[in-house]
Amino acid sequence: MTIMTKMKGAATAFSFAALMSVGGASLASAEDVTLTMAVPDWPPTRIMKKFFDEQYKPKSGNTVKLEVDFIPWPDFYTRVNASLTSGEQKYNFIVSDSQWLGAFVEGGYFRKINDLLDADPDFMATFKTIHPNPLNAYSTYPHKTENYYGFPQFPDVLVNFARADIICHDEEQKNFQAKYGKKLPCTGEELDAMTWDDFKNVGEFFQRKKGDMLAGKPAEDDFYGIAFQAGKGYDFSSMQINGFIWQMGGDTWDETKAPQGQAEGVVNSPAAVEALTKYLDLIQYMPPVAKTGTMDIFVSDQLFREGKVAMNIDWIGLGEASLAADSKVKDKLVFGQMPGTMGADGKMIRWSNIGGQPFVLTTWTTESQTKEAVDFVKWWLSNDIQHQFAAGGGQSAVKAVYEDPKYVTYRPWNRAWAPQLEWQKDVWHVPQFFELLTQQQDQFDLAITGKQDAKTTLDNIAKFQQDKLKEVGLIE
Amino acid sequence: MTTTAQFLPAPPLFSPVAHNWKLAILAGLVVSAVAIVLFPAKLSLGVAGAMAALIAAAFTVNAYRRRYYGGLLVAPAIAVLFVMNIFPLLWSLGLSFFAYQSNNQSIRFVGLNNYIKVLTNDIAAPANWDALINTGMFVVFTVALQMITGFLLAMLFAKQFPLRKYLLILVLTPMMLSVVASGVFFSYYYDPTFGILSYVMGEITGNQFILMDNKLGAVAGIVFTDAWMWAPFVMLLVLAGLVSVPKYLYEAAAIDRVSKPRQFWTITFPYIRGLLMLALLFRTIEAFKLYDLVYILIRGGQDTKTIAYLITEIANEQNKTSEGAALSYVILFMVIVLTNLYLYLANRRNKGA
Repeated sequence: MTIMTKMKGAATAFSFAALMSVGGASLASAEDVTLTMAVPDWPPTRIMKKFFDEQYKPKSGNTVKLEVDFIPWPDFYTRVNASLTSGEQKYNFIVSDSQWLGAFVEGGYFRKINDLLDADPDFMATFKTIHPNPLNAYSTYPHKTENYYGFPQFPDVLVNFARADIICHDEEQKNFQAKYGKKLPCTGEELDAMTWDDFKNVGEFFQRKKGDMLAGKPAEDDFYGIAFQAGKGYDFSSMQINGFIWQMGGDTWDETKAPQGQAEGVVNSPAAVEALTKYLDLIQYMPPVAKTGTMDIFVSDQLFREGKVAMNIDWIGLGEASLAADSKVKDKLVFGQMPGTMGADGKMIRWSNIGGQPFVLTTWTTESQTKEAVDFVKWWLSNDIQHQFAAGGGQSAVKAVYEDPKYVTYRPWNRAWAPQLEWQKDVWHVPQFFELLTQQQDQFDLAITGKQDAKTTLDNIAKFQQDKLKEVGLIE
Repeated sequence: MTTTAQFLPAPPLFSPVAHNWKLAILAGLVVSAVAIVLFPAKLSLGVAGAMAALIAAAFTVNAYRRRYYGGLLVAPAIAVLFVMNIFPLLWSLGLSFFAYQSNNQSIRFVGLNNYIKVLTNDIAAPANWDALINTGMFVVFTVALQMITGFLLAMLFAKQFPLRKYLLILVLTPMMLSVVASGVFFSYYYDPTFGILSYVMGEITGNQFILMDNKLGAVAGIVFTDAWMWAPFVMLLVLAGLVSVPKYLYEAAAIDRVSKPRQFWTITFPYIRGLLMLALLFRTIEAFKLYDLVYILIRGGQDTKTIAYLITEIANEQNKTSEGAALSYVILFMVIVLTNLYLYLANRRNKGA
């Protein structure tokens, strides 16, 4: 009797445990394939989901469902990181920031796709028509080797958002000419030709107090000339500062030169210090929130949409918001390339940090899921869909698409897209990315809020990177 | 009948009766260990889970046969507490003795190295000490402000006046809002371009006013927001004490012509002292965990990183799980020492009074 009770208890416990472990597995038959995807919640991913639901017909004849978790941007990394590292194996597809590749490839979460490309010449051909700069940034780990992991979901670059109604106003034009002996940039081409010095002039020129004249009317509120990212969160200053440093002949720690490439002496080189000083010098002309260290890409975008600044450097991905119904500037916009630095030979140097995201496959994705996923990616990267994506507010890094004359007509900022692709670089894809980034953002924040100068800042960053990377063997 | 059940003798270790929990534990450990060695991770986890269920079943039968119904009634609560709370706590304590990063599947025993690192490493330690000092500062300022405001509000609302009921609801609202909502609300309130604070200060002084461009302002902003949210909580507790004071004590004191301050110290204060202590304890423990407002209002800038902020960075963003765990246990230790000190002092005062 007692033995029976015990055995019953044990049997119940076992069946309970068995039930628990079965409950977690998905029940997929050959005909029904579900792809689960984690994406940031913004227009480029919403459009993708819409296209999939409305247009996608799998070639295999299976019923393919795309289940998308739309996660708000500020939570995105934390949520994805938690999902991956907890081992719940929930997602087949993840829209990943390019710099996360190292951390998640080394952790064994992201699937290498070389075998898929080799097995499918069509796919390889499509893949190779992606511009090499985004391809390297989004796909390769170690950086710039032929080890592929991702496909571009939404490629992104920094562009200059400007207020045509302000900068093209006759009186402002006249006054600017009188003050600086140069024409105030007004058209897209004139914006393209801007250097950071011109940008600084715009900042200085358009500092208006409430009630001062602005474009022929008294300003309703304080008005500022310029804005760009200078925030402490995530990468909201590094992405802008890197462009300054590269344009002015400095460098960041170069992962492709590991383990010989050093951080000390490179990161804090005189050219880099000069570049950072130039960046910091512009903060004074920006809306005062910059002095608190919270001017991230969303804050500067909001200030621009609320009509408080004349020019804002921000990601193309936020362009759609400036045209939205609640934007106060939606019918007054002109776009140009991010300002550059004039080289000694009179040619413009335009290096900039690439934005945008690849999507990657995870290692636990089954064979049938992988097959459907590859079919979906091929469809996604096909010219027709890429054109539709661009027309709906996305961007394409596929050569045949962005070189099409139609491309620039889709959105006003598209004219700045293709020429800038040539000038995109990316920073560290190494697993230590987050440690390097957090320390650097903290240091930049001290400089932005006026607590320390450019030299000290870069010295501190260089020392930290040197120690950290030496510890893990990426610097000899 | 009860007697036989209560004096149910403990069975010999290897007797296979259902209430032999010692045997269940032994069998559970042996089977789990064998499973971990022989089977892949997922299966052995299932086996270990089944063994835990078996042990729990043995305990239940044991309690039932001994008529220990009280224990049976609280068992579900304890089981939930164990699964959701105690087990993760012990697990993280264990992790703090290993070199483990959650995004990297290797694990290695390092003893006290993580503790040594968070306390003495020349890169990690200064940041930790800074964050600790900031945390201490926030604890002192936020708790002090909340206690004083909450107390004064309670004194106000203990009296009867028109519209008291409605005002009370209004004052209690901040406590019910989510921290994120309040944080976002205040970030606009403090914003130099959109915010009313800068607007009003600008109109008065004629200069541009940016609250958060220095440490003092940033700390003041965070402390004020925190106090706005939690002073009502202190008020609620103190108010409960105030309304429990019997009216006749005041009447007797009035007849004896006791002065108002003396009435407060000898009649009112003894009634609310316990509740004040409780509020102080709750708020201090909470203040040690301050993260959300620092993140939402200033992203840890202007040297306002608290220890909770730092742990989030280390453990969640940089995936240095075991280092984060070690730092957490250092803090937990401090909080436990501090709260016990509080309770000790409170009790000594009670005895003295």
